[in-house]
Amino acid sequence: MREPFKLFFSIFQERSKLKEYRNEGRRIFGTMCNNVPEEVIHALNAVPFRMFGNYGNTNLANSRIPSWTCNYARNVMEAGLRGDFDFLDGVVSATTDDTKIHLFSAYRFYMKPEFSYLVQFPYVRDEISERFFSKELERFAKHLSSFLSAEFDLERLSDSIKIYNKYRLLCSEFEKLRADEKPKIRADEFMALMLSSLSMLKEDFTSMAENLPEMLREHDGFSDYRLRIHLSGTDFYSLTLLRLIEESGMAVVSDDLCTSAGYFTGYVEGDGFDALAERYSGCTACVMTSSNTELSVEERLRFIRKKLRENEADAIVLLKDRGCEVCGHQCPWIVREIDAPVLVLDLDFPLSVEQYRTRMEAFVEAHGGG
Amino acid sequence: MENSWNPLGYKNLYRELFKKHLDRQNELLKKNRPVGWFFSFHPSELIYIFDVVPAFPEQYSAYCAARGSSVDLIDTSISSGYGHFLCDYFKTTIGMIEAPEKATPPLMPKPDFIISSRALCVAHHEMAEVFSRYYGIPKYTVNYPYWTTDSLKNPDELTKEAEWAEEVYVEYTIERLRGLVDFLSKIAGEVDEDRFMEVFRKSEKTSELLIKILNLMMSKPTPGSQREISDLVFIAFFVLGSDYALEFCENAYEIIKERVKRKEGVSEEKYRLLTFGIVPWHSLKIYQYCESMGANFPVNLYVNASVHKADSSNPYLSMVRRSMHFTNSSYEMLDGVVKTAKKAEIDGALLLENTGCRITSMIIRPLAERLNEDLGVQSLILEAPQCDPRVMPMERAKTQIDAFLESLS
Repeated sequence: MREPFKLFFSIFQERSKLKEYRNEGRRIFGTMCNNVPEEVIHALNAVPFRMFGNYGNTNLANSRIPSWTCNYARNVMEAGLRGDFDFLDGVVSATTDDTKIHLFSAYRFYMKPEFSYLVQFPYVRDEISERFFSKELERFAKHLSSFLSAEFDLERLSDSIKIYNKYRLLCSEFEKLRADEKPKIRADEFMALMLSSLSMLKEDFTSMAENLPEMLREHDGFSDYRLRIHLSGTDFYSLTLLRLIEESGMAVVSDDLCTSAGYFTGYVEGDGFDALAERYSGCTACVMTSSNTELSVEERLRFIRKKLRENEADAIVLLKDRGCEVCGHQCPWIVREIDAPVLVLDLDFPLSVEQYRTRMEAFVEAHGGG
Repeated sequence: MENSWNPLGYKNLYRELFKKHLDRQNELLKKNRPVGWFFSFHPSELIYIFDVVPAFPEQYSAYCAARGSSVDLIDTSISSGYGHFLCDYFKTTIGMIEAPEKATPPLMPKPDFIISSRALCVAHHEMAEVFSRYYGIPKYTVNYPYWTTDSLKNPDELTKEAEWAEEVYVEYTIERLRGLVDFLSKIAGEVDEDRFMEVFRKSEKTSELLIKILNLMMSKPTPGSQREISDLVFIAFFVLGSDYALEFCENAYEIIKERVKRKEGVSEEKYRLLTFGIVPWHSLKIYQYCESMGANFPVNLYVNASVHKADSSNPYLSMVRRSMHFTNSSYEMLDGVVKTAKKAEIDGALLLENTGCRITSMIIRPLAERLNEDLGVQSLILEAPQCDPRVMPMERAKTQIDAFLESLS
């Protein structure tokens, strides 16, 4: 990993920015899903922080929640039980899938955070549901502002929306650089940026990273690959596996991960809770919300096809976390309906690195041309 | 040492109930009435109001598990690329769709529409999407809230009547339910208001009887067997609002009432156990095994979760109330469960972790902890997927149960 990215990754690993915010007296709220509308937390001068654990073995968690649940959930529980999140003022999750719902409940039960809120998603995009979701976001704002003894200010929300949109725009710049014919950014570097952006205020990230695209454009880029791939999955953040993918001769040029494109794709158009509701119920890759006339898997397929087309990806690597219910239900449809070769990797941690390497190399051999 | 096993004798009542249900289904199929697939906690009354043919993937999968075909069906689903750790009901149904020759007849009729709901799990919504895509049929979604302490106050564990529920959530759910009625009207014809009320009145009476039966189960000694009581979920989930459900409950209530009057138990009672988890349909004899050892089950929280007090004076609120069970609530709502356990004077708990079901499996340890902390009651947790007997071989389960009962004595 090159130097500027190392710095970003260390911010994620060491939580250095969070410590700074804490020292400044800012309140910090952990989020368990990319669909938590962080602008609401940000507008109250608090810091949203995406919770991650990084334990190969999750022994403590396994005695509280089933060991077959997804790697993300087990790691958050493990980190919580080990006291890694003791600095948080509260946690927020969303009803986006059963694991997220029950991770929220289990976390509350065992860790007893001072504040907690579960954002109720409507699953349907129609007038009634959009109206409800807007009210739900307002309700969340009320609960949080009451906890913080602060007034919720719509003007501040508008500022936060602008900050987040600017962040999203910057991420899309990085996305383009990653999709260059000679990609200017490696998969692990891209993920390091994403993870750091989830561990600091967006305005700080933007200010630190805004000159990076210019710098990267001057770089020659990488041509040591044989296959351009789209990476599909959910709450994935293993740099080891990303490196393995690239070492096997693939370049990751796009993704739909909850920790990456599934998180930053889609702008909030307008102001207020209505605009926020529209974005969060409509712009992401994995959420189980869809319009009345379409299924969410169809929206996900459309999202993937668009990414494949825009970024000229030749194939898909699908990271199927063995405990992820979204992957579990949607994976066969992606394999069947996307007109590109798909490598499905049943994902479990600790990683069986050599097994994955063999499969990846065989995939590149089969589809990577000369 | 085994003692005699003396069930209530609901077997014939169930036989009659299923016969009437299937007769109705066949009659409506002959008339080309639309077929809908439904999940547990949906408002079953609408099936009878609109005279549609219902099929229930969960109930069908349970049937396949009891008849021994579910293992092949689950394997078919996994071979097709679906995850290992998904709901057994989903995997069994996918197996039926993809390899009908392996499924136990009669198969579920092909659906014309599907009702997706999240009154228990997002998995219902996820599987409804998949089934809807297989058949290219319309789907309607009712999204109930997941209740937390800031949106629901003191729901009763059996009736689901609560002191307070967040208005924004209740209103939205009611709007979606009204939308469901419109959706069904377009598919099955206009709603008849008189019929609507009549079905809800039946539902109310039936629900009252179900609650009375479950209350009587807490008598000493425990009057009935879980081999019979666990099947009450079929009534509470799927056929509430029908004539035959009401008829069943009237008879079942009389039987258990008489049994309690005579102070007669299902066996010579040594231990009173609470149980929770979706019933392992392939190994129902596990209950009989325990009961034959004098370990009876006055409380089955899974059955308790399935019932609610229907209210014909406010049918829409009544439909929302179905979702106010502890498995659809944050874990502080275990207060109600602890209260029930205390009332039933339990000595221990047999908790079934249904592999692939995040709802039952994730709440099990907190439940065990609460029972221990609040009542000093120990639990045995068995990994027991509801349709896959390979994970819970009966002989192993029996050994664990023996050791657990030994520790209670």
